[in-house]
Amino acid sequence: MRHEDFVAVFADPDVAEKALRSLHDEGVTTARVASPAPFPVVHHTGHPGPWRVLGWVALVGGMTGLGCAIAIQVVTSRHMNLIVGGKPILSWTAFGIIMFELTLLFAGVTNFTALVVLSAVTRRWFPRRTRQQVTSERIVVVVPMAGVPEARRKAIRGSMSQAVEVLS
Amino acid sequence: MTDAGSTTAATGGPNPITQIERDTLATMTHTSWAYWAGLLAAVSLMGVGGWAWSQMLREGMGVTGLNATVMWGSLITTFVFFIGVSHSGTLVSAILYFTRSPLRAAVGRSAEAMTVIAILTAGLYPVIHLGRAWLAFFLLPYPNQRGLWPNVRSPLEWDVFAVCSYVTVSSLFLYMGMLPDLALLSRRVTGWRRPLYKALSLGFSGTDGEWGLFEKAYPIFAGVAIPLAVSVHSVVSWDFAMTLMPGWHSAIFPPYFVAGAIFSGIAMAVLLLGGLRRGFRLQRYIKAEHFDLLAKLLLGMSLVMTFVYATEFFMAFTRGSETESEVFRWRATGTYAPVFWSVILCNSVAPLVLFWKRARRSLPTMVVLAVLVTVGMWIERFMFIVTTLAHNYDPYAWRDYTPTGREMLVCLGGLGLFLTLFLLFIKILPSMSVAETMQGEHAAGASATEDSTPASEVSHAA
Repeated sequence: MRHEDFVAVFADPDVAEKALRSLHDEGVTTARVASPAPFPVVHHTGHPGPWRVLGWVALVGGMTGLGCAIAIQVVTSRHMNLIVGGKPILSWTAFGIIMFELTLLFAGVTNFTALVVLSAVTRRWFPRRTRQQVTSERIVVVVPMAGVPEARRKAIRGSMSQAVEVLS
Repeated sequence: MTDAGSTTAATGGPNPITQIERDTLATMTHTSWAYWAGLLAAVSLMGVGGWAWSQMLREGMGVTGLNATVMWGSLITTFVFFIGVSHSGTLVSAILYFTRSPLRAAVGRSAEAMTVIAILTAGLYPVIHLGRAWLAFFLLPYPNQRGLWPNVRSPLEWDVFAVCSYVTVSSLFLYMGMLPDLALLSRRVTGWRRPLYKALSLGFSGTDGEWGLFEKAYPIFAGVAIPLAVSVHSVVSWDFAMTLMPGWHSAIFPPYFVAGAIFSGIAMAVLLLGGLRRGFRLQRYIKAEHFDLLAKLLLGMSLVMTFVYATEFFMAFTRGSETESEVFRWRATGTYAPVFWSVILCNSVAPLVLFWKRARRSLPTMVVLAVLVTVGMWIERFMFIVTTLAHNYDPYAWRDYTPTGREMLVCLGGLGLFLTLFLLFIKILPSMSVAETMQGEHAAGASATEDSTPASEVSHAA
């Protein structure tokens, strides 16, 4: 964790949420939270991330799957001398099923990959050693203190008075 | 499992959230003799099935009861049955997610695991049925020097794509839901498990940004999984409906298969959850109310199945096709009549007991019914596959089929494989979602606090 950060550990999600609201009242909107479960407190940090992108990424993945399914049909039909029981391979109706399946498969896999990659990116905003403090009974709130005047620091510490442990 | 986490809150007193974590991970931390006995039985069943399959590989498909007329039998029945079992897990879990049902925290993970394990088991049976299992790769589309290419106009080839897509998406859906729990586990355990769970958690730490992403990605994935689940069983139904065989060539087959799949999947989920609740004392999380909801679903699907059975007969006798009506008449009165009436008894009559609330709330009654429905659904698949093939257009070719002992052992081996993998799953990975249970219990506590009504009345109202 960075020396300037104020790190407080809470045992109760409600108390953590109250502390965060209190910080907001003080005008501090830079606090971050790490929690073992998606308690309401994680939605009070005011840090919208890049997750709107996820829907578009899944859509692009799905379109790629559709493209691949069409490519399998067209490329193999035109460039390969294939034996399919003496019948032509080009059959859009029959291939509709495969297009559907590959569209959803690629959308799902892309969505998962995007989640893993973007999680790794957003995680970097949070100090590593602080992240490791999270357990089922420990919700960690981090407030960057760099450049914060002493009077305000006191107010922040006051807001966090319900914490069970203050790490720095 | 070694517990490296503290057992009390940092304040010194017992922490309800820690208690939830300990309870929901009970399947991993406590191993009773009943678990080992169950695992031994399942592995033995799998071993016997493996031996019987080895006989098929050594001596050929002549050891089965299959013949030129009835060329699909108990092996394909088991494939369709396990696809059905797999069907409802991901589907039910995804639907429960969208409806924000409290049932999901208790049921979701086991149901998703059941899906993945059942579809892996199902995928084995077409390969076994091939006889020459080592040539199964012929089904995959890849350029080869033999100039062979799978016939993509065949529903059997659609199966390859549908089942492969479904197993991939279902596995990722299960895995994605487990990421927060794996992250918690990696901090709780010691020894070789710690790096394993840490690697499996893919670095998930529970930061606000990660939860934001998770809550956005999960519904997208659930949205992908629902149509995929429906499509897979529709594709399996087209294996039959795309033929011109009497009794199969019907537009009702896709919804019929989907309904049957949900029906058998719920029955299997009841059995697995009943075992978890009883075996690991999870009464606080897998509640009687949950079984009540599952019972209502089971009853509803039973009524749908009864409607479909009646519709099939109605259509057969009003369509004007003599062959079709003869197949259905023979199904109910011919050689396989006991099979048909067993299906009606197990799938249509027995579940009617669930109209009574006491039956829905009684775990033993639910378990007995779930066993009946599970058996009934296997028999049902057997019935419609075999009766159509054995009694189709050409009376000269009519032949009966009875599965041999070794064939049935291979089918039971599938059940052994399914149970073995499930028992290993609950021992190695969390069988209930810890994060979701924490969130659910917290939300329930918050709403109880906001509402001035006493907790007992809230519970009663719910």
